[in-house]
Amino acid sequence: MTRWDEDEFTANDLLLDRELIDSRGMPAGRVDDLELTVPGPGEPPVLTALLCGPTAFGPRLGGRLGTWWQAIGRRLRPVTDSYPNRIVVELVDHVDRLEITLLTPRENLDSYRFRQWAEEKVIGRIPGSTK
Amino acid sequence: MKAVMSMMLGVMTAIGGFVDIGNLVTSGITGARFGMTLTWAVLVGTLGMALFAEMAGRVTAVTRKPIFHVVRERLGVRMSVVNAGASTLLNVLTLAAELGGVSLVLQMVTGISYLIWVPLAGLFAWLVIWRMPFGWMENIFGLLGLGLIVFVVALFRLPTNWPAMWHQAVNPGVPAGQPAPTWWFYAVTLIGACIVPYQVIFFSSGGREEGWTSKSMTEMRVNAFIGFPLGGLLSLAIMAAAVPVLEPAGIQVSHLNQVAVPVAAALGRAGLAIVFVSFFAATFAAAAESGLSSGYSVAQYMGWSWGKRHPPGAAARFHLVCLASVIAATAFTLTTIDPVTVTIFAVVLGAAAVPLTYFPIVIVANDARLMGERVNRRWANAAGTFFMLIMVVVSLASLPLLLLTKAGQ
Repeated sequence: MTRWDEDEFTANDLLLDRELIDSRGMPAGRVDDLELTVPGPGEPPVLTALLCGPTAFGPRLGGRLGTWWQAIGRRLRPVTDSYPNRIVVELVDHVDRLEITLLTPRENLDSYRFRQWAEEKVIGRIPGSTK
Repeated sequence: MKAVMSMMLGVMTAIGGFVDIGNLVTSGITGARFGMTLTWAVLVGTLGMALFAEMAGRVTAVTRKPIFHVVRERLGVRMSVVNAGASTLLNVLTLAAELGGVSLVLQMVTGISYLIWVPLAGLFAWLVIWRMPFGWMENIFGLLGLGLIVFVVALFRLPTNWPAMWHQAVNPGVPAGQPAPTWWFYAVTLIGACIVPYQVIFFSSGGREEGWTSKSMTEMRVNAFIGFPLGGLLSLAIMAAAVPVLEPAGIQVSHLNQVAVPVAAALGRAGLAIVFVSFFAATFAAAAESGLSSGYSVAQYMGWSWGKRHPPGAAARFHLVCLASVIAATAFTLTTIDPVTVTIFAVVLGAAAVPLTYFPIVIVANDARLMGERVNRRWANAAGTFFMLIMVVVSLASLPLLLLTKAGQ
């Protein structure tokens, strides 16, 4: 169950653009967008996931730069579906004014691919990258 | 005792770290051309840098968020992408200027063209980013940079006309025969050389690298309020040393080696050797720091892991940005563009960009919910707001002056 530091807040205040910290204390990206779901007719929408990655970030940037960002992100994805990477709200441990902590290590997140690529294809091949 | 020693070491590295290619070039040019009439610009710039760094350092120590975390969270995703992009380009431009400076120093010592040295300087700057522990990097080059004190010594050996220089410093005005826009343009370059965005990015991110907490406040404040002003004093000494030597001879400084001439005249070869070592240390440290700052700003904006406290493999994207910046800056310097011109452009554009990072820091330093009892006091707000206004004026004036004076000709 997610612990919220404050009872009443706006998405801008505590969620959007906040830093994600994984269960081992490592940075795991930022909240680029939010997924809200309407559970049933007439019911208020609830937060179901935090969205990350270029296909969430691009539309929020807007304009031509945002379109490009999204297009690049879409082409680099392993799947054709352009729906952004989701971090379901059940994986969120704690939300406070400083950061959002997760219940899982960042290796398990879909948004981890660019880091993996940078490490395996470039940085990991330079001597002395592991110490 | 140990605490006092470590604090003194911090101050000394802050002094050495304050001076980089921007201060060397702008102080030398203005001393030779305008005497001490632009002393006020160095004072304004240094005071602004101290205030800005203290606020950024305090925010980092309390919230554990260096500058570009704060920028994205406060300015929103659209405004801050402009901000992060501009800062990163500026860091690369500064890095190019510093690499040019390092190479020019090596050319002075060896007589071999600076272009040969540029790739080596780039390679070694990257190696420092890649492997050297953070504390070593700060201490070694900061202390070697302190050798710039020879400019103070030189002042006492030269036929310095102290009363006349003091008169110029306290009665600022455009010297006879000099165009006013050029004088104002160089005032902007001096302010820009003191308040450098990469130095604030580096200062606040470095605080995180060294694990600052609310308890580190004294150490951080001593660095910002004593170390940086003493660094500003060194900039003034470089300016002042040019006055009795270069101004009477009518020498216009257009090359880094002319900045060293006063020390050579006063102290001979030994003095010159110290100047070369300290020029090298100051520009080389600044090269590594501005390269790191590109990585810091992009990684913090995107929420990637960053910093030298992780092995490079665990902060792969951060190191990718640093590496790309060093390659881009090296390539840019190798186009044979004059490093002194690059420096002038870097400090002027830097001055124009200061409000982009300064404004969000002032906002966060005022947020009591984040800062708790470390929120801005009334004096800090008064001073911070006053400097915000000054920097907005400087920022608006910088580009018109750059175009109007054709970069100070």
